[in-house]
Amino acid sequence: MADTISILYQFGTNASFLLLCALGLIVILGMMNIINLAHGEFMMLGAYTASAAVHQGIPLPLAVLLAAAAVGLFGVILERLIVQHFYGRELGALVVTWGISLILAQGALLAFGPFMPPIAIPGGSISVGVYSFSIYWLFLIVFCVVLLAGLAWVYRATNFGLEARAAMQNPAMARALGIRVNRIYMITFGIGSALAGLSGALLAPTTSIAPFMGQQFVAPAFITVVVGGGASVIGGAVGSSALLSLVETPVSFLLGSFWGSVALLVTALVVIRILPGGVSSLGRRLLPRLAR
Amino acid sequence: MSVKMAAPILRSCLGRALAGPHDIGRTKPAWLAMALVAISFLSYPAIASSFSATNVAYYLLNIPMAFGLSLLWGYGGVLSFGQVAFFAVSGYVYGIVSGNFPDATWATWAGSLAGLAAAAALAAALGYFIFYARVAAWIVPILTLVLALLLNTFLGLTAGAQWTIGQVALGGYNGMTGIPAFQIGSFVFQDYAFYYLVLGVVLVSFVGLRAFVNSHRGQVLMAIREDVIRTELLGYDVRLEQLFVFVLAAVLSGISGLLYVQWGNYITPSVTSLQQAALPVIWVAVAGRDSLLAVAIVTFLLNQLSYILSSAGNQYALVIIGVFLVAVMLFAPEGIVLRLVRLAQRFRIRKTEVA
Repeated sequence: MADTISILYQFGTNASFLLLCALGLIVILGMMNIINLAHGEFMMLGAYTASAAVHQGIPLPLAVLLAAAAVGLFGVILERLIVQHFYGRELGALVVTWGISLILAQGALLAFGPFMPPIAIPGGSISVGVYSFSIYWLFLIVFCVVLLAGLAWVYRATNFGLEARAAMQNPAMARALGIRVNRIYMITFGIGSALAGLSGALLAPTTSIAPFMGQQFVAPAFITVVVGGGASVIGGAVGSSALLSLVETPVSFLLGSFWGSVALLVTALVVIRILPGGVSSLGRRLLPRLAR
Repeated sequence: MSVKMAAPILRSCLGRALAGPHDIGRTKPAWLAMALVAISFLSYPAIASSFSATNVAYYLLNIPMAFGLSLLWGYGGVLSFGQVAFFAVSGYVYGIVSGNFPDATWATWAGSLAGLAAAAALAAALGYFIFYARVAAWIVPILTLVLALLLNTFLGLTAGAQWTIGQVALGGYNGMTGIPAFQIGSFVFQDYAFYYLVLGVVLVSFVGLRAFVNSHRGQVLMAIREDVIRTELLGYDVRLEQLFVFVLAAVLSGISGLLYVQWGNYITPSVTSLQQAALPVIWVAVAGRDSLLAVAIVTFLLNQLSYILSSAGNQYALVIIGVFLVAVMLFAPEGIVLRLVRLAQRFRIRKTEVA
C-alpha cells in the first residue's frame, strides 16, 4: 500500500513538474506556431519576482500571482516590440527568442548577482508507512489539474476561447470574419508568459534560484512540447507529461537524474518517429473513428 | 575524346562549380580579391611571430563548423542549435584515441578518423529519427539544443577514475588535457605548420562546398528548402537528402573540433555550453545564411572580436551576443554582409541602366 502510494507520488510529481515547465510553451506553440526559446528565462523571472516579493514579507500565494501578472505583462511588451515581427517565420522566431533568453539570463546575473536567497517550502510533510510526502508537492499536483481545467474552460466556454480557436484553425478566415487575430496573438503570448511566470514562481521553493536556472527547464519543457505536439493544447500537455514521467520516473530512480533526462530525449525521438505530430495528433486520428 | 575537346567542357564544369549562382563573389574583381586575400593569408607567417600565427589559426578554425550550419540552415532550411555537440564529440574522441598511443605515429590519423566517424554516427542516429519522421521545422533546433545541453551535463559528470579510458582521463569539468598535435610520419603540425594546416583545411572546404552547392545535389538541397512536396514529387528522397546534409554538417563541425583540440591541446565540457552553442548561429545569421563566402568572412572577424572581448574578461559577452542576434534578426534578417552585397548589386544595375 505504502509502496504504491510512493510510486504514484513520484509519478505525480514528475508529471506535474513537466506539465508546469511546458504549459506556457504549449499554449503559445499551439495557438501561434511560435516557439519561445526564452521560456526558461521567463520562468526564472517568475521565480525571482516571487522570491523577491516573499522576502519583502508578501505571503507566497500572493507573490505567485504577482509573478504571473508581472511576467505576463513582460511577455505582452516583448510581443509588441519584437515577437510580432516573426509571425509566419518560425525559425526566425526561434533565433530571436534565443537571443532574448541569453540577454535575460546574463542580465539577471549582472543585475541581481549569482544567488538569490532561497524561500522555504511551505507546508510540512505527511508520512505513510516508511515514506514521507511533501504537502507542497501534493498541492502542486492538485493545482496542475485545476490549472488544466481552468485553461480548458477558457478555450471551450468563453468568447475569447472561441475566437482563439478560430484564429488557430484558419487565421485568414478568422480575420475575414472580423476577429482581431493580432490582438488574440498578443493575449495568447501574454497568457503563455504568465503561465511561465506562474510555474517559475510555484517551482521557486523547490529549487535553487539563480540567473541560469532557466537552463534546467529547457530540456524537460521542450521535450514535453515535442512529444505533445501542437494539435491540441490540453491533450498534448496531459498526454505527453504523463507518458514522459512514466518513462522518466523508473529510469531516474534506478540510474540517477541525468539518465532520466537522456531517457526523456530518447523517448521524444521514438515518439516523433511513430507520431510526427506528437501525442496530441493521436487524439485527432482516433476521435473521428470513435465517433463513427 | 581528345584533350583539345575535353578542355572547354572541363572548364565550363569547373566554372559552373566555382562560379555558379549560389554564392556571392562571382565577378572577376571578386575572384581577384579572394586570390589576394588567400595569398596574404599564405604569406602571413613570413611577417608574423608564431604566437600571432597561432592566434590567427584560432580565428580560422571555426569556419568549417560555420560552413556546416550555413549548408543546413541557409541552403537546406534546417536549423540546428547543436552543432557544438558534434564539435565536442569529435574533439573528445580524437583525444581518447590519439592519447592512448602516444608513441605511434599513426595515432593522430586514427584519432582524426575516429573523431569524424563518431560525429557522423551521432548525427546519423539523431538525424534518422528526425528526418525520417518528417517532423515540423521547429523540432530540429530544439532536439539538437537538448542534445548539446545533455552532452554538456554528461561530460561534466565524467570526473573520477572510472571515467579514464585506457590512459586518458575525461576529467569532468576540468576537461581533457595533453591532447597531442596532428602529425604525419614524424612531422608534427605545430606553430607555423599548424597555421598552414588550418588554412589548408579552410580553403579546401570552401572550394569543395562551393562546388557542392552549385552541383546537382546542392540544387536538390535548395529545392527542398523552397518546397518539400514539390521536390518529392520530382522523384527525390527528401528524407535521405536531409539526412545526408545533416551528417555532412556534423562532419564539418567535427573538423573544427579536431582543429580546436590540436590547437590548444585540451578540451572542456564548456565547448557545448549554451553560450558556445549560440555562437555558430550568430556567425551564420550575421553573415547571411545562404552564402559560404559571407559566412567565412564573418566567422573570422567575429572570432577575432570575441577573442579580444573574452581575453578582456568581459562579463557582458552573453548580453552582447544576445543583442546581436535580436538586432540582426529584426533589422537584417538576410544577414548584414548579404544585405550590403545586394544593395551594392542593385546600385550597379541601376547605374548600367542609366548609362
